[in-house]
Amino acid sequence: MDNPIRSLVIVGGGAAGWITAGLLAAEHNADQGVLAAIPKLTISLIESPDVPIIGVGEGTWPSMRLTLQKIGIGETEFLLCCDASFKQGSKFIHWRGQTAANRSFPDSYIHPFSLPIGQQELNLCPFWLPHQQDVAFADAVCQQFQLAELGLAPKQISTAEYSFINNYGYHLNAGKFSQLLQKHVTEKLGVRYIADHVTAIHSQQNGDIASLSTKSHGEISGDLFIDCSGSRSMLLGEHLQVPMISQQQVLFNDSALAVQMPYPTADAAIASCTHATAQSCGWIWDIGLPTRRGIGHVYSSAHLSDDAAEQQLRRYLTADFGASAASSAEFRKLSFAPGHRALCWKNNCIAIGMAAGFIEPLEASALALVEWTAKALSSQLPANRAVMDIVAARVNKVFLQHWQQIVEFLKLHYVLSQRADDDYWYEHRESSSIPTSLQDALQLWRYQVPSAMDISHSDVLFPAASYQYVLYGMGFQTQLSGSQKPSLQRKAQQLFNENIQRIQTLKQVLDDNRSLLQKIRQHGLPTI
Amino acid sequence: MTKIALLNSVEHQPLKVITERGAAYGDNLWFTPTFPLEFRSVQAQYPIFFHKDQQTGKLYPVALFGFSHQENLFLQSNNWQHSYIPLSVLRLPFLIGQQTVREDGVEHQQRVIHIDVEHPRVSKAQGEALFLPFGGNSPYLEQVAGMLETLHFGLQDSQQFVEQLLALELLEAFALDVQLDDGTKHQMIGFYTINEDKLKALSAEALTALHQRGYLQAIYMALASQSNIRNLLKLKNQLLQQAAG
Repeated sequence: MDNPIRSLVIVGGGAAGWITAGLLAAEHNADQGVLAAIPKLTISLIESPDVPIIGVGEGTWPSMRLTLQKIGIGETEFLLCCDASFKQGSKFIHWRGQTAANRSFPDSYIHPFSLPIGQQELNLCPFWLPHQQDVAFADAVCQQFQLAELGLAPKQISTAEYSFINNYGYHLNAGKFSQLLQKHVTEKLGVRYIADHVTAIHSQQNGDIASLSTKSHGEISGDLFIDCSGSRSMLLGEHLQVPMISQQQVLFNDSALAVQMPYPTADAAIASCTHATAQSCGWIWDIGLPTRRGIGHVYSSAHLSDDAAEQQLRRYLTADFGASAASSAEFRKLSFAPGHRALCWKNNCIAIGMAAGFIEPLEASALALVEWTAKALSSQLPANRAVMDIVAARVNKVFLQHWQQIVEFLKLHYVLSQRADDDYWYEHRESSSIPTSLQDALQLWRYQVPSAMDISHSDVLFPAASYQYVLYGMGFQTQLSGSQKPSLQRKAQQLFNENIQRIQTLKQVLDDNRSLLQKIRQHGLPTI
Repeated sequence: MTKIALLNSVEHQPLKVITERGAAYGDNLWFTPTFPLEFRSVQAQYPIFFHKDQQTGKLYPVALFGFSHQENLFLQSNNWQHSYIPLSVLRLPFLIGQQTVREDGVEHQQRVIHIDVEHPRVSKAQGEALFLPFGGNSPYLEQVAGMLETLHFGLQDSQQFVEQLLALELLEAFALDVQLDDGTKHQMIGFYTINEDKLKALSAEALTALHQRGYLQAIYMALASQSNIRNLLKLKNQLLQQAAG
């Protein structure tokens, strides 16, 4: 049983497979990007040559910067190869819904990637509450709100690769991203690429996977198998029979229509945030790359027919691209079962990406979870089979915590809505569809602002600030009792003023997204 | 304001260039670009660091004259207190330009002299004449042409120097903390210098490659130039004393 873990076999390319291969190889087989003479691990990636990659996750979190850096890909190369642009957060439009009481406030808000100013010293949220009629929460506590709204880049041409002025992730072309990763990981990090079909899976007596049969590469054995086969979940789901846990009773969306639209003009502005515009039974994403916009309607098939979903999407396109472009656009239909596997790691098999679970891309959590799982595997890689189950149990525990948080955090966006245009929104607000711990938290937040105490584990995907951005962006009311200490009030006022000053300065010196990308094309970003 | 024009003996016949030094002529510079081929002269007087071009993000070596924007501590009234003035300052108001010419049906690039006719050094009344009364370049203009030529090749070489340094990860950001005699503290950020630990750890091959291009010498001259910070501090403290006294 104490067989050392030396040979890793990844099934499935796509971003999940290649990110995992890259992180594992960079951590265990290379030092500062240089491949070791005798690599510790043998890493192979098997990919069916004719299975199309589903282009999910065209938006990333800021964590992707660190992931790319670890894998050893330069930011200039990445930006240019993947048609990438900078993502500074998500903008939610028409989620709150107009009522008689809130008609004078704009029905949109931003969940920026930057934390509130002075986060280390002071939770500014209680000090903002008295001013909520005058200034949006994100605007008061975070310079990124205004700068992102103005379409300004999160850094300058003189800012080093992966460094920032405002925290950012990326919008990218998922197909080109996988190609770049594949090229880098096979050429620089020694990962073996096998283009072949897996035809059979062979087990050991203890249920571990022993080997895979392939059409033309014979039998491929390994010590640890990584399932990146997408929603098919070939190893963990089909073979090891780990069941799906459906989350459809909480998050109804299970269908999407996707389209790519060229910009109306070559110099059109590139948006700084993913736009998510609420519809009668779902929402429309809008992601600006330098070359095109990726737009899609994600909805609940139980509430809306495909035809009606298509009509709503065409209506959205008409506003920006004109009636003729909108009516001739061709959509790609995707269906998914919202939920995740009961475990991500069983026996000697761990699933990463859609093979482990998938949910609507409302906060672009798909690639973030890929990165987290791949890093967890890479940093805790068991030395031998004997200790593997201990590591697996730990990873599984956090995997489920992350999924619970993702489901509840996404649900929060719906629960707070006052939209009344379809049963969809009413059903989202019915308590039977709301996880108990989220109901409890909402009770508490009527009297106190979200804090780190509300999150039950460390290493979180969404910090307390994320809850604040969404709650107060949606117009949630918190009634604090008593007043704040005068010394802290002065400190808060100082931070609010500092935020305003920083915005004024940065407005002068930041380029818009397209101009900066143009400069990067011309000069490259400095490496230091 | 700047107005760049291709220098020609017809339009610019009457122009003169003032060669005195002074803030009025744009010499109140915090720092100026330099290049390895003039490091030997520069390091005798000024600290050499690296700085990023705000338009391109590219690093380039600079000679430092002060601690803040528009502060040139070597400039006192109309006198520059040191004998060597870096070429990138001395060449003003002239610039190097590129011109495409056709020769025997083949297009090629030729370097030409440009002038900023709005530069405060440009005058019709005083200074060095550019052209002789009956045609031909003045000795001053010939001197300028030679200077621009040196600067052009120096800056090209400098780019390769910086690329080598970056490839070997020999540059690092640093913050210069200074305390003046009056007790005030200042921090200067946005400058880069040679990482001496990385330099010490270089392989023999890397050192040989640097040496063959003359860059090893440039690296050590840049390092040695750091002691000139003390001269800058002395000048700054003298200024403070004069202001107080």
